Amino acid sequence: MCGLAHYFESDGLSTVLVGFVREHMEAIKPARGLFLDFPMGRGMGKPNDPEFQKKVIRAAFDLFDVETGPVLEDFPETIPVRDGRMGYALPPELVLSTSDIGDVDSLLADVQAEMDALLPDYEAAAASRGRTTVGASELALKDFAPFISEFIRGEIPKSPRKGLPAIPLLKLVVEDLEAYYTETRTHRDGIDDLELIGKWFWEETKAGRLLLSLEAISIVSDNKVMLQIVEMSLMAPRFWSEGPLPGTSAAGW
Amino acid sequence: MTRIFEMPAVGRGFISDLQLPTFEDPAWTTPVPTNQRRVSIVSTAAVSQRGDKPFSWLAKDHRTFHKNDRDLVMTHVAVEFDRSAWQQDLNVIIPLDRLEEMAQDGEIGSVADEHYSFMGAADPVTMEKSARAVADQMKREGVNTVFLIPI
Repeated sequence: MCGLAHYFESDGLSTVLVGFVREHMEAIKPARGLFLDFPMGRGMGKPNDPEFQKKVIRAAFDLFDVETGPVLEDFPETIPVRDGRMGYALPPELVLSTSDIGDVDSLLADVQAEMDALLPDYEAAAASRGRTTVGASELALKDFAPFISEFIRGEIPKSPRKGLPAIPLLKLVVEDLEAYYTETRTHRDGIDDLELIGKWFWEETKAGRLLLSLEAISIVSDNKVMLQIVEMSLMAPRFWSEGPLPGTSAAGW
Repeated sequence: MTRIFEMPAVGRGFISDLQLPTFEDPAWTTPVPTNQRRVSIVSTAAVSQRGDKPFSWLAKDHRTFHKNDRDLVMTHVAVEFDRSAWQQDLNVIIPLDRLEEMAQDGEIGSVADEHYSFMGAADPVTMEKSARAVADQMKREGVNTVFLIPI
């Protein structure tokens, strides 16, 4: 992001950026930077809080009044994170092995039933917000879990989406599945707590177990891309864990 | 303040080891007066209009979306950041409504019609060509001010 700022600034556009990693901002020296001590994914701080969001924007735009640079300031308010982690992370000990997976058909049926039960609240959330972020994969809701299950059975299915191979599509389906759940829960229960929502989805739902099963299969996969996805924490949220996923070296990083 | 050394092991190792770009002569463009600012947002959240081609995992290119477009999806490769916030309110990562309000209140001049998204996981040096193309597009639209927001 700091590098992009340099390109725009050198093309005659005035830039200001906000950022979450102060050391990087100090090193790259964008023309104007506002450091945010917030969890990642929350650049304007708080959803549905227009005044807080405008405070962030105003603090950033105030940097246009500074006559020389580079200038780096700290936004004065903090949104605390837990133990230095900038997002939810699975407990390191919560790892499934292939022998834990059990009957895939049964797990799939459990997830389908769980999704069916959430559907009215999901639809209410989407209607209330006037939008949904579910759908990047372009698969129908009913196809999310069956598509994932094919991988758990050890197959690499043919991608149903033209121009997008099966494994990149799998990642989008995983993220769509999670978004279906988290959009529903944040709206239904009025929750804005990334730790609580992450814990619920990944540690308590059948869908979370489905994805941990997918991770277990991926760790032992002969497919290098599947292995890379788990080694680089590109599917299950382990980036902020205290140690690599057992069975991997985190060498992907 | 959360510093890199305070972060948990996996993330700390990755962020510490990133090769950061350096610029010998940091650029500086003098800002226009407040009431003349026409603002475009650049996000590295890898969001795009529904139906757009998904970003590849190390994409060098960008997507464009209109200021009135709220039906955006995200195809960012990473999952270490919180996605529940933007699911609740697009403005928490792309504050188009806030900028419109500020334009109406005279805090800025205007909000650009077009806004831009990149894949934040990719090396920004590889994005230079695309960034320069975006800059040209912005200038054709009368944009003079860029608000960059990471995910």
